[in-house]
Amino acid sequence: MPGFDFSNHNRNAALHAQGVPLPKATSTGTTIVGCLYDGGVVIAADTRATSGPIVADKNCEKLHYISPQIWCAGAGTAADTEFTTALISSNLELHALSTGRTPRVVTCMTLLKQHLFRYQGHIGAYLVVAGVDPTGAHLFTVHAHGSTDKLPYVTMGSGSLAAMSVFETQWKRSLSRDDAVKLCADAIQAGIFNDLGSGSNVDVAVITAEKTTLMRNYITPNVREKKQRNYRFERGTTAVLAEKVIKREEISKYVTVHELSDESVAGAAEKMDVDL
Amino acid sequence: MAAIFTGAPPNSGPGYSFTQTPAPTSASEPRQHAFYPYTDNGGSTLGISSSNFTILAGDTRSTSGYNINTRYAPKLFHIDSADPSSRLVLSVVGFAADGEALAERLDTVVKMYRYQHGKTISVGAAAQRLSHVLYGKRFFPYYVHAILGGLDEEGKGALYSYDPVGSYEREQCRAAGAAASLIMPFLDNQVNYKNQYVAGSGVGHELQQRDPRPLERKEVEELVRDAFTSAVERHIEVGDGLQMMVITKEGVEEVYRELKKD
Amino acid sequence: MDTLVAQYSRPSGQQEGYSQDEQQELLQLTPPLSLKFALPPIAQPSSWLRAMTDDYSNPNCPIKIAHGTTTLAFRFQGGIIVATDSRATAGNWIASQTVKKVIEINNCLLGTMAGGAADCQYWLAYLGMQCRLHELRHKRRISVAAASKILANLVYSYKGMGLSMGTMCAGVTPQEGPALYYIDSDGTRLSGNLFCVGSGQTFAYGVLDAQYSYDLSEEDALDLGRRSILAATHRDAYSGGYINLYHVKESGWVKHGFSDTNPIFWKTKLEKGEFSNVTSELE
Repeated sequence: MPGFDFSNHNRNAALHAQGVPLPKATSTGTTIVGCLYDGGVVIAADTRATSGPIVADKNCEKLHYISPQIWCAGAGTAADTEFTTALISSNLELHALSTGRTPRVVTCMTLLKQHLFRYQGHIGAYLVVAGVDPTGAHLFTVHAHGSTDKLPYVTMGSGSLAAMSVFETQWKRSLSRDDAVKLCADAIQAGIFNDLGSGSNVDVAVITAEKTTLMRNYITPNVREKKQRNYRFERGTTAVLAEKVIKREEISKYVTVHELSDESVAGAAEKMDVDL
Repeated sequence: MAAIFTGAPPNSGPGYSFTQTPAPTSASEPRQHAFYPYTDNGGSTLGISSSNFTILAGDTRSTSGYNINTRYAPKLFHIDSADPSSRLVLSVVGFAADGEALAERLDTVVKMYRYQHGKTISVGAAAQRLSHVLYGKRFFPYYVHAILGGLDEEGKGALYSYDPVGSYEREQCRAAGAAASLIMPFLDNQVNYKNQYVAGSGVGHELQQRDPRPLERKEVEELVRDAFTSAVERHIEVGDGLQMMVITKEGVEEVYRELKKD
Repeated sequence: MDTLVAQYSRPSGQQEGYSQDEQQELLQLTPPLSLKFALPPIAQPSSWLRAMTDDYSNPNCPIKIAHGTTTLAFRFQGGIIVATDSRATAGNWIASQTVKKVIEINNCLLGTMAGGAADCQYWLAYLGMQCRLHELRHKRRISVAAASKILANLVYSYKGMGLSMGTMCAGVTPQEGPALYYIDSDGTRLSGNLFCVGSGQTFAYGVLDAQYSYDLSEEDALDLGRRSILAATHRDAYSGGYINLYHVKESGWVKHGFSDTNPIFWKTKLEKGEFSNVTSELE
């Protein structure tokens, strides 16, 4: 049976009634915006993901791919935005393949709202849908309960009011590409600095009839300063009760072991996002 | 499975007064919501005492919900600053209005002591008095975690931490407020050297624990800065500015530094 | 002269600053004996207080008061042993590992602390004051029975208001010998040979009841107190930290250390072969 598994629902409801707290989902208490301009559409997002008051991810990606010319910015429950956009992306691809046409933004929006309405808001995805198709550039918002809007500039998430204040004071008709990008980036920064649920960096995507340009970490206004002290522990600082060394020869009986050359190890380490 | 036990201790366990009453088993029990006089204004504070100084620090952000009320709301109060020999600093975190009321109350008490006795109150006496001020509102508590810093009669750094109703204890270091759970383990490890052993001092159970030593002022200021920049990275209610008060026999020195504002 | 008058007088009818009563209160070194506590301006202060502070009935209560403990005391031929752990918890948070749960009321009376830390600290300090006043008034030391009754009557007068304490009073007096009383905030007051109090009480009783005898030697009694607390810190998540040991004799109490549980645990395990449930072997 495809779809959601509800078999634990009764048990969880019973546990919750006894005072067991429900597990907290990572939410992207977020600022996301979108803005139409003369040659296409721009969407932007901050990069903070939170779990309650704790920052779960300092540099997450909230701009999701739907099709080459349709992108989605997601707020709400992180897993829901991730999986809903992925699901609709697949369905839209199948639809495009069977019709032999490039997918339309309205189609994407309709699939999303029908999916979300069916689940009556239990799927906590709040989305900004933007894209360019043969009928032109389009910009929509989709709420978790299934309602939608079509507007020249939109904001969503906990920082939507801060971001909207920027649009309401600075937006004008017939923006240039650079103006639209600047306006969206400013709106996101208003969210980053004035809304606690939003923070870190600005991601921007510009979609035109020709191509989509994803500008990951377009602005990084919150780089952490260097730490004052060095917190490296001398080897042997941690007490050890017992020790067991498993050699490569032994472990390779159970799993496949790939040799890594020294250069590729350094390369892998560089890709990791760590504080130094 | 573990989640089941992360709540309060099981209801069947031993207890006094409140625990004897059955816990509400369903949402059907009526609850009073009308009177809620508290707001959590977020933020964090910490204090570290050493051989001849005490440092208190707090961020200056005041929040409610996802909003920032102000980027500069001090949580540190120099008590009786009119007295040149005053070496008392109170830090309060929690509900800002209660915090300010408490600081004002302690300020008055300390002044009254000076007027009556013609001398500056000792930290020990001020600490006990603060406990009594807090306990005076046992049935309508101040919603604050207070830390009191100063110098004792021997000139050593003194630091007292309080719960909302006045239970108190002298300590070497303490973090309070929203990011206490992020900062306190760091302080345990770096100030009291908890879970640190002297490398090569023995094998297995012979391994020696690393003994704490009084820290230098520079070290402490660096630890405080690192504690707060780290808390800012991972807690949304901490940020904007770092207010620090260094208490030495020369006086109380205030330092302000910027923190990230996102 | 006019400037002096101006400096020391205030325009009349203005309601600023502290009232006469409040000023009097601030001037006093200790709060008045007839304690006046601030109450919230509502009909049912106690149920409101419970909603705000009781993390048992409301795990999301805004004010978390420090709780959780193991304390024990027992009488034996050489006096009374008093032992406690040192952990304070607020919900799941370990608020402190260095709490002094034995409160030295005076040089021959001890109180223990379980339940609300502030309640115990405050009222046992208050009890200390009453005991000293008794000494001054009657020119002799107060009996443990009388001291414990002061506390019991006091907490009984606050019954239902939300005080939370489970305490033991231990002392040796010439007229009573070694005397031990249990008092809790419900108003219970019991005298007995042996008490364990707190969230880890069952674990402490387990060891204490098995090994206890009135004729224990001083050294064995101290060991038993220490071992019982160790058992409780081992099994009760809300107990831990350091073991605080006291011996009360007729000449007064003697402190026998504030010692870290971890090395004591490993010493007990490795030297006596106890705690065989714990292994450090891998597979």
